[in-house]
Amino acid sequence: MEKDFDQMNYYEMLDIGTKATAAEIRSAYNVALQMYQSDSLVSYSFFSKEERDRILSLIDKAYFTLINEAQRARYDEEMNLCETSGSADQSKAGSQPVNIFEFNRQDMAFLARKNNKSELKTKISQSQSIREILSRQKITGADLKAIREELGVAVETIHQETKIRLDYLNDIEEDKTGKLPAPVFLKGFIKAYLKSICIERADEISALYMSGLPDKN
Amino acid sequence: MAHIWPIGGGKGGSGKSFLASSMGRLLAKSGKKTLLIDLDLGAANLHTMVDVPYPEKCFSDFISKKISALEDTVLPTPFPNLFLISGAHDSLDIANLPYEKKIKTLKAIARLPYEYIILDLGAGTAFNTLDFFLASRHGIFITTPEPTSIENVYRLMRAIYLRRIRHYFSAADFKTLEKKVREHLGDDSLNKPENIVSIIKKEFPEKYALIRKDFNSFRFKLILNQLRKQDNTVLGEQICKIIKKHLGIHVEFAGNIAYDEHVHDAICQRVCFLDRYPHTRAANDLRVVNKKMGSAFGEQLMLNYL
Repeated sequence: MEKDFDQMNYYEMLDIGTKATAAEIRSAYNVALQMYQSDSLVSYSFFSKEERDRILSLIDKAYFTLINEAQRARYDEEMNLCETSGSADQSKAGSQPVNIFEFNRQDMAFLARKNNKSELKTKISQSQSIREILSRQKITGADLKAIREELGVAVETIHQETKIRLDYLNDIEEDKTGKLPAPVFLKGFIKAYLKSICIERADEISALYMSGLPDKN
Repeated sequence: MAHIWPIGGGKGGSGKSFLASSMGRLLAKSGKKTLLIDLDLGAANLHTMVDVPYPEKCFSDFISKKISALEDTVLPTPFPNLFLISGAHDSLDIANLPYEKKIKTLKAIARLPYEYIILDLGAGTAFNTLDFFLASRHGIFITTPEPTSIENVYRLMRAIYLRRIRHYFSAADFKTLEKKVREHLGDDSLNKPENIVSIIKKEFPEKYALIRKDFNSFRFKLILNQLRKQDNTVLGEQICKIIKKHLGIHVEFAGNIAYDEHVHDAICQRVCFLDRYPHTRAANDLRVVNKKMGSAFGEQLMLNYL
């Protein structure tokens, strides 16, 4: 035995890496339940009743800690597991699975975002430069980036909310026209981008953006 | 030196003899000189599986010194390259093989001039079974996806683990160890070698290092037999995971073998299943498992009894 089960950290208990996504944690938890539940064939007779109960309670604790982002961050900090560099994260972000489920149901995160939205709206109405950009006849990716930065929204936030791949978002903002997706998708992406930062008249602006693109043919 | 594959499973009827005969058949077919030894002492029937209904010599003759060299008890089978040491006419008290005879047998087995030697072991966790299983570092566990069978295979693994640990202690040392385990963890904890190891780690760190090193060199395999359609196909991998995590033994999952009525038919007709029904799922699974094991076993095999 390398280590007693009680001495493992939560990641080891669930057999996942320290950077596992919510979906990975969830599936690891399901696998663990399959293995340790009292009617499981896998561990039949392997544990006494007390051992099994203890293991199951540890696994529950591990799962509910890791699935909650705030608690997980606290746990990581306690265990000194926290990721060392944000930059490494960013470079890999394009290939990382997207967070598709909202797990922290009872959390305040939802409310917080709502507040965030109204905050964004007031910011937009107050900001001179945004109004100036939006009144232009031609909108480019650089303009979108300027608006986003003015509002102080991270590109990752937009990526999380819209589920648009990070590399696409970056390409759009940097106006790398050669690398952009097909126009039919791009138009939807721009709309989603604008909506996620609470810009009204998203239809109109995305049309402006599209018309400003160089014709591929 | 020969590759020795002991096949054990804890529970009767889990397919040990079937697997032994099939593996032997496949190895022989691929041109390897292969020997099957029926060490299911007292309940031998491997000869029936490989179509040697009237074996004229058997393992017991070696024990009773009627035949002095183990090699002379080897019988040819109808299949080229495949040989058998039968247990058909073993004396009725063969199950209680004394210790020195067992050591003598193990030494003789290690010297046999074959490429592959497959040991078909009996059910249960008698010392004979455990020691024959530990004759090689490449033991194969076989189980079916039923609670009874899984219960017994876990028992066998723990028994083997404990048997191996005992090699490292003199009788007196082991007594003191047992006492310490009882003090720390209570009476029933002696049933679990992992508890004993955790005490060894604390009390005898140098022995712990030896034991760890020893167990890391073992290459156990697990085969799940008689898997029906509705059964969980990842069961084998999960079993290996649990063993690794909680027992600290590395067991590699070698594959599933489908449940097949034809196996029963083949045994009743006393013909080789692989020849009679070569295109069934089970036959295919056997070939896959055999291929995987052949490549995985590869090179050296360390014997403790040489």
